[in-house]
Amino acid sequence: MTQSLFEKVWNAHVVEQLPGGNALLFVDRIVAHEITTPQGALEIQQRYGDELFDKKRIVAMNDHVSPAKDTETAIQAKLLREWAKRHGITLYDIGDNGICHVIAPERGHIEPGMTVICGDSHTCTLGAFGAFALGIGTTVQTGAMLSGCVVLERPKVMRITIDGRLGHGATAKDLALYVISTLTFKGATGYAIEYRGEAIDAFSMDERMTLCNMAVEAGATTAMIAPDETTFSYLRGRENQPKGEAFEANVAHWRTLRSDSDARYEKDVTLDASELRPMVSWGTNPGESVPLDGRVPADANEKSLEYMGLARGDALRALPIDQAFIGSCTNSRLADLRAAGEVLRGRKVSVPTIITPGSQAVKRAAEKEGLHDVFQDAGALWTHSSCGPCLGMSMGVVAPGSRCISSSNRNFPGRMGAGGRVHLASPVVVAASAILGRIASPEELGAEVAGQRA
Amino acid sequence: MVLEGNVLPVDRANVDTDQVIPAFLLTGITSVGLGVHLFKGMPGGLDLLAAHPDASIVVTRENFGCGSSREHAAWALADRGFRAVVAPSFARIFQENAYNNGVAPIVVDAGEIDALMAAPSLKIDLEAETIATSDARVITFALDPLRKRFLLEGGYLDFLANKRDAVRSWLSRSGSTVE
Ligand code: SF4
Repeated sequence: MTQSLFEKVWNAHVVEQLPGGNALLFVDRIVAHEITTPQGALEIQQRYGDELFDKKRIVAMNDHVSPAKDTETAIQAKLLREWAKRHGITLYDIGDNGICHVIAPERGHIEPGMTVICGDSHTCTLGAFGAFALGIGTTVQTGAMLSGCVVLERPKVMRITIDGRLGHGATAKDLALYVISTLTFKGATGYAIEYRGEAIDAFSMDERMTLCNMAVEAGATTAMIAPDETTFSYLRGRENQPKGEAFEANVAHWRTLRSDSDARYEKDVTLDASELRPMVSWGTNPGESVPLDGRVPADANEKSLEYMGLARGDALRALPIDQAFIGSCTNSRLADLRAAGEVLRGRKVSVPTIITPGSQAVKRAAEKEGLHDVFQDAGALWTHSSCGPCLGMSMGVVAPGSRCISSSNRNFPGRMGAGGRVHLASPVVVAASAILGRIASPEELGAEVAGQRA
Repeated sequence: MVLEGNVLPVDRANVDTDQVIPAFLLTGITSVGLGVHLFKGMPGGLDLLAAHPDASIVVTRENFGCGSSREHAAWALADRGFRAVVAPSFARIFQENAYNNGVAPIVVDAGEIDALMAAPSLKIDLEAETIATSDARVITFALDPLRKRFLLEGGYLDFLANKRDAVRSWLSRSGSTVE
């Protein structure tokens, strides 16, 4: 029987078929953070004798608000800490932590063919490894901690082929925004996406994670990329991965996790990457994005326009910004920081700029390359790792009416602070915009900031 | 079970869970008491609630509950006394969360929404899967057959707890999944 990558992973984990297209699906890895886990940990303690199905399958981290910002968040972190300690669960905490979707793969906890859940919608990031990885609510996570399983309706599968290679300064982030604006903000609801094609083959793991990260912004359950040599060499020798023959035996199995050539898809989409240009969002969901040279569309939604303080036909490039943010589970890995560093090197930012690495390990790696000096010499704030300004919860909140250009994944009303306006873009576009004080592409910098280089 | 209640007309598409309850209010460790924060992140949200103080059914546009997986959105709705959200479509994670918290996620044709939003109150029969409007029309909908049980009786966690032996024996048979 021919199978797609998704079907191979799904079928290997179905414990029982349930009514209505649902399955009892076994979960290999639970990634647990401090905002959505304590409620479930307490419930299991109170109602089910504190018994976990398999603590070895759980990894935990304080990441969303870390260090804690107030008494309440300190209690969340403390509960997660105590729960992890009580059960002997691996916990990444202050000094050695990172955003869940950054640190889980970085520490070797994510493998091809796994099923992965986390109480966080961007868990689809981890599909970059050929895992079936999805965000779920606290109750579903709690159920998995208790029983090893989730109840899930089998998604349909959408194959998205990306022909050609990226050029013209476009990045994986621009491709993500382009895909969402093409499919629309809810166009992939009910689907697992399989990304394939020339551009995907050429992507590093960092780029694949950036692309898969935003699949949920098109409504998708997840996105998956078949594992290949890029995946295997990322994992080879990594912490928490077996060594030598044991690892190579896994690789032999992982090589089978590719869609059969005649696999069937409920939807098949082909896009061309070669003409892609840098993108930026204008509206209040990531699907409301256009090329950076573009204008606010003629059919723009009235409520989005009103919130963003824009009119139809406005040029994005002309928009002055008040703040810039590079970070979040979309774009906070070493490759992102290097790219931003290229733009910022020897230049000065003209608006408050916050740069937040995705993990403390990313931070250390960036500092070994001297990127912290590049950022700080440019006048940017180089922070410890956390979700940070991305969700307007702990730091870097955007004032009402102010505009922030951000490498994160959500531009919803109030996402980075009540009334704050967010424009999503790639790290290099954010860096260029931070320098020029308006939405800008790195290409513009050659002439305009030359004077600052002295 | 029949729900009879007043309508909260949320005339927006893509109401994400940050609008239902913003991230800065997610600092607690329980699911109770979040009703006071409902729709604090939605432009005009608090005024809308004030204008419909005893509403218990949200009627809204497509893709309700998109964005963050926070179950707090369903908890806040339930805590505030909402028993159903009627929309042309939902985001997956919110839909699951709603079922697990006694808030019925009811999908109806987009063409029905204007009339339902204009109705002051609705009568929703969750067993029979029908909505009766005040002009005596009946609209049918379909709930997920398994999740309908969780919706009406609760018990998602108990359902899974009772599967533990079956899961263990599946694991020992399959033996293939990752450690
Ligand atoms: S960085 Fe932002 S989007 Fe990613 S997990 Fe943290 S809060 Fe969520």
